[in-house]
Amino acid sequence: MTEMSLDTIERKVSFDDRIDIDTEITNREALVIVGRSFKLLGHVKKLFAAKVVLGLNVVVPALILPWLGKILVDNVLLQKPFGETDIPYPPFMDSVITWLSGLDPLEIMLRLTFFYVVMLALIGMRVGGTAAGTFAGGDAASEAENQISGARSKASGLFGLLEFWVNVRLTQRIANRLRTQLFERMSRLPMTTLDDQRIGDSIYRVLYDAPSVPDVCYQITITPFFTLLVALINMYLVKYTYGAVVPEVVWVSWVMLPLAFLFVFPLSRLVRRVNQTKRAAGAATTNSMEEAVNNIDAVQSLGGMEHEVNRFAQRSGESFRRERFAMLTWMLIAVVGFLVFAIGALYITILTTNKIIEGQMTPGDFWVLFGIYFGLAQAAITLGGFWVSLQQGVAAVRRVFFFIDYASDEDLAGDRVLDPIRQGVVMENVEFRYPDGATALSDINLEVSIGELVALVGPTGAGKTSLAYLIPALLKPTSGSVSIDGVDLSEVELDSLRGQVAYVFQEHLLLSESIRGNLLLANPGASEQDLVSALETAGCMDFIDKMPDGIDTVLGRSGNTLSVGQQQRLSIARGLVRDARILILDEPTAALDPATENALVDALRRATEGRLVVVIAHRLSTVRRADRIVFLEEGTIRETGTHESMMADEDSPYRRFVELQND
Amino acid sequence: MTEPSPPDIYSGTSQALEFPKISFRRMAQLVWKTWPFMRPMLKHIIVLLLVGALQTIIFAGSLFIAGDIFTNKVLVGEKVQPFQAWAMGLDESYVKEELGPGTDDQAEEPDDVESEQSAGLLATIAALAGIEPVEDEEEDEEDEEGEAEEADAQANKLTEEQRKVVRDRMIVLLIFLCLLGAVMYGVVLPYYGRWVWHNVNQNLRVAMIERAEHLSLRYHSNTRVGDAIFRVYQDSGVIINLLEEGIIGPVVTIYNLVLGLVFIAFFDPLVALTCILILVPIVLLVYLFTPRIRRRSLVNRRAYSDLTSRLQESFSALKVVKVNRAESQILDRFNTDSERALDAALALRLEMVLLGVLVAFVGGAAWLGLEYVMVKWVIEDRETYLGAMVVAFIGFTVWNLGAFHTANSRVEDTAEATRMLTGVWARLQDLFIALERAFFLLDLKPEVADSDNPREFPESIRQISWRNVHFAYTDQQILSGVNLTAQVGTVTAIVGQTGAGKSTLMSMLLRLYDPDEGSVLIDEEDLRDLRIDDIRHNTAIALQRNVLFAATIAENIRYSSVGASREDIEAAARVACADEFIWALPGGYDTELGERGGKLSTGQRQRLSIARAVVRDTPILILDEPTASLDAATEHQVLANLGQWGRDKVMFIITHRLSTIRNADQIAFLDEGQIVEIGTHAELLAREDGFYRKFVDAETSGKETS
Repeated sequence: MTEMSLDTIERKVSFDDRIDIDTEITNREALVIVGRSFKLLGHVKKLFAAKVVLGLNVVVPALILPWLGKILVDNVLLQKPFGETDIPYPPFMDSVITWLSGLDPLEIMLRLTFFYVVMLALIGMRVGGTAAGTFAGGDAASEAENQISGARSKASGLFGLLEFWVNVRLTQRIANRLRTQLFERMSRLPMTTLDDQRIGDSIYRVLYDAPSVPDVCYQITITPFFTLLVALINMYLVKYTYGAVVPEVVWVSWVMLPLAFLFVFPLSRLVRRVNQTKRAAGAATTNSMEEAVNNIDAVQSLGGMEHEVNRFAQRSGESFRRERFAMLTWMLIAVVGFLVFAIGALYITILTTNKIIEGQMTPGDFWVLFGIYFGLAQAAITLGGFWVSLQQGVAAVRRVFFFIDYASDEDLAGDRVLDPIRQGVVMENVEFRYPDGATALSDINLEVSIGELVALVGPTGAGKTSLAYLIPALLKPTSGSVSIDGVDLSEVELDSLRGQVAYVFQEHLLLSESIRGNLLLANPGASEQDLVSALETAGCMDFIDKMPDGIDTVLGRSGNTLSVGQQQRLSIARGLVRDARILILDEPTAALDPATENALVDALRRATEGRLVVVIAHRLSTVRRADRIVFLEEGTIRETGTHESMMADEDSPYRRFVELQND
Repeated sequence: MTEPSPPDIYSGTSQALEFPKISFRRMAQLVWKTWPFMRPMLKHIIVLLLVGALQTIIFAGSLFIAGDIFTNKVLVGEKVQPFQAWAMGLDESYVKEELGPGTDDQAEEPDDVESEQSAGLLATIAALAGIEPVEDEEEDEEDEEGEAEEADAQANKLTEEQRKVVRDRMIVLLIFLCLLGAVMYGVVLPYYGRWVWHNVNQNLRVAMIERAEHLSLRYHSNTRVGDAIFRVYQDSGVIINLLEEGIIGPVVTIYNLVLGLVFIAFFDPLVALTCILILVPIVLLVYLFTPRIRRRSLVNRRAYSDLTSRLQESFSALKVVKVNRAESQILDRFNTDSERALDAALALRLEMVLLGVLVAFVGGAAWLGLEYVMVKWVIEDRETYLGAMVVAFIGFTVWNLGAFHTANSRVEDTAEATRMLTGVWARLQDLFIALERAFFLLDLKPEVADSDNPREFPESIRQISWRNVHFAYTDQQILSGVNLTAQVGTVTAIVGQTGAGKSTLMSMLLRLYDPDEGSVLIDEEDLRDLRIDDIRHNTAIALQRNVLFAATIAENIRYSSVGASREDIEAAARVACADEFIWALPGGYDTELGERGGKLSTGQRQRLSIARAVVRDTPILILDEPTASLDAATEHQVLANLGQWGRDKVMFIITHRLSTIRNADQIAFLDEGQIVEIGTHAELLAREDGFYRKFVDAETSGKETS
């Protein structure tokens, strides 16, 4: 990979991202991520301990099998009695020797076979390990399923089954813990961030990035532990046989460790970057797919199918290309590792062949020494390259931690619990600017109190919705203050505030659940009576009665089996069922027919008893029945008053506004 | 198969599932269905397979020769073959002189090489598995025996100096071979393979998205978005494994298995027969487990797909969640789905692993039993079955150490291959379930489709009419006998109660749905006889739900009119009264919009929607509640602009606003799925007790009561 192509990657790295833009991290930050991943193990201590203990079964065949093989050849097939071979048995074989000595060859074989079969059933000795999974595609998204439920055991038989089981659960618990945490944090992103955070990307992070974390955990614990363990067992066994020649082999093998590290370390940044990029490209693909399918009605109505398919094809192709870059980088590292290994092998070859040619060793020794080298060097290279191979996981996990660390509404809020609201909302010198600098509100001074029906009126883009967002602290003023009952909202604990404010949005967002489920979302404790009365007030019972399952009818995707007007009425009902002190309705009547609208406004008037109702509206029929009208224009309050008082004023901007409508 | 309305889509995966049946025929069908996606890459697939096979042969051959040179020449000291001398640039003193004993050499060589080769591999494998040198003890002895036999052929030996020269040149060759192998095997070929299969997967993915985009809204409102994402990612992805790992791999394994059995039969047919007989319980196990694995696989994929949908739905409803303090509720739901998916993944894997462990045990136990028997035969010096026939080549007339090792490792290979095959078989079940799910989407015929001989779209439209149109939405009758005609150059206002079917009526004009009964006509052409693309190309709609895409403002307005210039876009924005606020944004027309255009107010988004419809300049324009969120002044301006702009067009407006309705050329009042009144504002208002009159009264009563 040349410098030039690195730069191209850097420039294009952001893809769809608006929030998570600076993805580059230093080795130090990578180390922090590794540390945080490690801490996740604290939550699965028991499973982890079980996995390590069960994994230790690998020791048994490693220690015993070679000696049993020797017995098979020497004492069974060649029929020599015990104690006639030159190489001594290690102490742990004593009991086995005692068990077998004095028997004739066939009896020894019988006992050996019996032992083998028992061990086969227990740990699958001599038949290898256990693993299972599904075939995956060639992209991070489809590999994630095997990552989150991945496991393997070096054993088979009962032990292998058990270890595999424990291992799957361990992997799942680690990954699920992180992805749940991520999901929770993402559900609390600030309102201003929500607009920029795309759904596809969020899905990608929860479902496809988070599953990389168990691998990071294993790579810093289980993998090096067992790699070292097997290497040490090798060295221990070798001591009994090739003690004289082996020091050099061991020495050369372990030199591979720093050598491998030195060669691949400079690549760690590149590995992180290509993996970040492939995931960003994958998320962009998910975005385009999610948008194309979720907005299918718009896409089809606007004849944009071809456009969407092309966009998806282009992004999916790019994502595959990035996957291959990441793979290529990985393969280059593997080749470097291989070459380091080959250098060592070369040295061993020259060393041993010299001795063989000079007659100090037999030809058979060559392969044995080579085998010893292979076992040790492989462990050394695994350990030496571990930092770099860790970076693949780090790249994915960084994307998860980014949003876990992202300041949520709650982090920015205070911790003062708001008592039941008795007075009302006061805004003083409030100004609000969007992060991109656009001013939405300025110089807002307003006092609204419980018992009022207040209408926010004004031309489109005047800042009505922004103003209403200030009340449940969905937006925070950039300067000035908003307070309820004299408590500044920046000090208030959000649950206690939003628990008392019900907000009905302009967009009617319903979940694909039953009507009941949609209402209970707002108020899990609502009784059947509460539900029905809210539905009646919002004029929903007309159409609900016609539905076969009534209130338990399951809505289709985002509620789109209903007409837009019906969705709107349900949204209003959901706001009503909250029974909150402050009820805010953003254009509640836009899609309603006049009769329904009138009924709703009547209900709202009744509702103002003991609560504050804020309505954003364009329709005069709604507006004029408010106790007070707040007229906004270009982000500031131009006028407040009742319909009559303002209409009586010749110069009233509100009057001009109304007259236009009546033309 | 036409579009079904899946009844259980939202009911999760907890319900009992029947065992999915996939016969061999179905598997073959599924494989065949992947052909269109592989065909564009056919050349590359063939090259990939050929190069792979060729490389295997070349490398196996090179390693064979290298092994021979190393063990027999460098380590033992035999002279080299002429070809080897040529390859390493050695002179004649290194080469065997007489050809007389050549035949002898040839006879010995395969034996020697074979045993050394396997000794080497054995040691390597042993070392890999952490198994140490004892195995080699006897190899040493063998070598010693071999050396003893050859002791008298001293003349044919290389000198120490020569052996070192051979070794050094050999190393140079090996370095070259390793580099080449590392680059070819480690980089080039895998990368090429990835590229080929990525392309195949890309073809399938795009086809699936294309199909999803063309399925009717009726289908989409009953399926979940996450399901589509899952099918396109996870279910389609398996296609990359089908050929190499799913078909060629097992075929090669089976071939080796049969070869191995023949080889074993050469030693003793009884052993081979036992190997075959042991397949009976294994096949039985596989037979028993296959349906279970399939079911678990289906449950796993459904649960994961549900989880994906859950996430998608949660994330798209975050605003509502936030204001309702429902974070913990959606977290609970996420956790439920998440646990279910994880349990399903575990259950599938346990099923696979259990089969694997059982097969490993049965196969392993059989092998251990055979090992015992063969050891017994060695001790008894029993004759091998056909050993005597090839005594000239290999000394396996009776069961000895070498014969035991060779036969035993073949039996082990057989057991291992069987185990591998069952593993692949288990994963293949999941692969076919996945393919089935991927092709389910592709096999759906769009409900709304072009007829076989579509007619040309009329060049200039005179009128549009609905004739006796009936339509039911799953279980709800929406339209029952609508008759409506609109002339070119007129504006028709569609008025009626919420849920009366106004939007549905308009969707028929776009062929988002086809009528269940009756027809929609442009002039006298039934819409069903026209091309869908033509219809949508000639009809623009501003939607009630203001869908904006995460792109710039200009791109959003241009959305489906690819040819529109910047001037066209700005002109359209002026008609929609959007020009002014767009320029006030920091980036003007190039301002990026967030998800669902969240940065704009609803009124602003609404105007962008209108601009998007206007820029297409189509003969038919539909405005679905276009001005609901606009203030009066803007609304008037927009409508005036539209009136001006749309003089030669057919325009429909769905609205509740009296100020908008009043100016329409005709007003159609929709009630209970039928047009109950039609006429101008004045005409309809004149009807005592008329629907429209009541509607207007309600609108104005709000004013009067206060």
